[in-house]
Amino acid sequence: MNAPVRTIASPAARPLGMPRARRAVIAVLALAVLALTLVSVAIGYAPFDVPAAFADLVAGRTTLPAMVLWELRVPRALLGSLVGFSLGLTGAAMQGYLRNPLADPGILGISSAAALGAVIVFYGGLAASLSLALPLGGIAGAGMAALLLNALAARGSSTLGLILAGVGLSSLAGALTALALNLSPNPYAALEIVFWLMGSLSDRSLDHVVLCLPLMLVGWGLMLSTGSALDALTLGEDTAASLGVGLVSVRLRLVTGAALAVGSGVAVSGAIGFVGLVVPHLMRPLVGARPGAGLLPSGLAGAVLVLAADIGVRLLATRPELKLGVVTALVGAPFLIVLLLRNRGRRA
Amino acid sequence: MRLRAILAFWAILAAMPAACAAGSAEAPVRVVSMNLCADELVLRLADRDQVLAVTYLARDPRGSTVASEAAGVPVTRGLTEEIVALKPDLVIAGAFTTRATVGMLKRVSSPVLELGVPADLDGVRAQIRQVAGALGHPERGEAMVADLDARLASVTPATKPLRALVMRPNAFTVAPGGLGDALIRAAGLVNVAAEIGRDRFGQVPLEAAALANADLIVVDEAAPGLPSLADTLLHHPVFRALAREGRTVAIPNRFWTCPGPQVAEVVARLAAAANEPGPRP
Repeated sequence: MNAPVRTIASPAARPLGMPRARRAVIAVLALAVLALTLVSVAIGYAPFDVPAAFADLVAGRTTLPAMVLWELRVPRALLGSLVGFSLGLTGAAMQGYLRNPLADPGILGISSAAALGAVIVFYGGLAASLSLALPLGGIAGAGMAALLLNALAARGSSTLGLILAGVGLSSLAGALTALALNLSPNPYAALEIVFWLMGSLSDRSLDHVVLCLPLMLVGWGLMLSTGSALDALTLGEDTAASLGVGLVSVRLRLVTGAALAVGSGVAVSGAIGFVGLVVPHLMRPLVGARPGAGLLPSGLAGAVLVLAADIGVRLLATRPELKLGVVTALVGAPFLIVLLLRNRGRRA
Repeated sequence: MRLRAILAFWAILAAMPAACAAGSAEAPVRVVSMNLCADELVLRLADRDQVLAVTYLARDPRGSTVASEAAGVPVTRGLTEEIVALKPDLVIAGAFTTRATVGMLKRVSSPVLELGVPADLDGVRAQIRQVAGALGHPERGEAMVADLDARLASVTPATKPLRALVMRPNAFTVAPGGLGDALIRAAGLVNVAAEIGRDRFGQVPLEAAALANADLIVVDEAAPGLPSLADTLLHHPVFRALAREGRTVAIPNRFWTCPGPQVAEVVARLAAAANEPGPRP
């Protein structure tokens, strides 16, 4: 617990003081994201000559391989890293802000609420007339859930109390999503709940990337800007306020940032769980316990996790393709159980 | 309630032998259909007052070719209690649908005719004759088969054996060996689905579909109404690009779904699309 105090005590002297270890972690993770993005582009269901397709694409020839590369492989890889980064970053920011090791957009119900918003907009036909409505629907859902949780946290809910509220919110949003899908007159709608609850990146298009990228970038910026405030908050709200942290501004930036990043991500990929829960815990031993220091690495690690999971579902010989949330839950759910047990052990 | 149900049950049992005995001699007068494909044949082949009920699917113009004929006919969801209450003297069911109800009806030895899924045009002809015979109108069955054959004969098959790939919502295709495959062959085309990686349910990854380099991609006619992910998949930019190259043809799903005279329409549209001069590689 020495490190945060020392850093907080001299916030002005911090900018150049990024420890070498943290810089190395960020560099390695960034390289891993890049490498996995390329692997993701290279992997698929049909034999495919990537260099030739790339050459066609660069030369502006509209051949089939160029089209598949640009309209299917590239969007899938990009969305994997974008959605993963959003989830990892949001998880780290929320764990820091709520000072709750179990906080995660999936567990707290923000992802499910985003899915509900996107489902209402999409199946109601709004997204057909205005494509931007889809991410906006997701953002509205995620924003409402984040505000609600924030209000609960402000009333002083305990660590587990907040998580239980999130579980309730998550179930409610899931049930309403099922209801909305069953009310749709389209016969396929009711069967599509798996996509919204488990998430998938299969057969997405570049349109989806274009829709969510700008909104995500704003969300990331807002959340990353809270780094030093989150560090100060580890000392408690009063101390943080006395250090000059504007609590209202921090809260506003986090809620808006989480809503933008998770909401637009879920609107195009469905709710992929556990990413935001797992990666901050994996990053902490590497970059230290300061929440601010964990933000960027957690985002990158989230991208690595989702890209790896998405490569995994394509390598597994299951058709129809396994949903992404299945893979992340296989990793994340045992992790959550261990965390809960350890949490209890500490208290006993 | 229970007593009445039991009484009704015995009443049906008592009526059964009489109905069965009569069934061979004269036409059934209380026909209930429990399968969309059976609905289509029953509504076309039976007298209106023979038909007691069809399925709710028959009224949906997206999937049914007899939506207008079904407009005034009562519908069921194929639940045992609904069917038993109607006291049918002939139930026509699909071999793979509403199995629980069919099992229950058989246990009370209700006369059930189960329709298989024909894998070729001969199977379609046989099924039309089978249903017409069961309804006591074999001559209408012969007329329908003759009509189907006349429509098939009027089709000019594709002059070149173009490679066709059917893409339905959720990226389902027409698996080799089924009726859809037979229709593609009848139009003089080659079904690409046999070549590409598809699972046993016939679902094709979009990139495999695009890279299969089919001359003709057969999609569902854009269904009006509210969207679903399954439908929007067919509007993926990859398909839009292929459509711009004149490589797609739209055929409503309802023509493919069931064996009946409408399958000639599929063959005709496929052949016409293949013979259309267009900017095709």
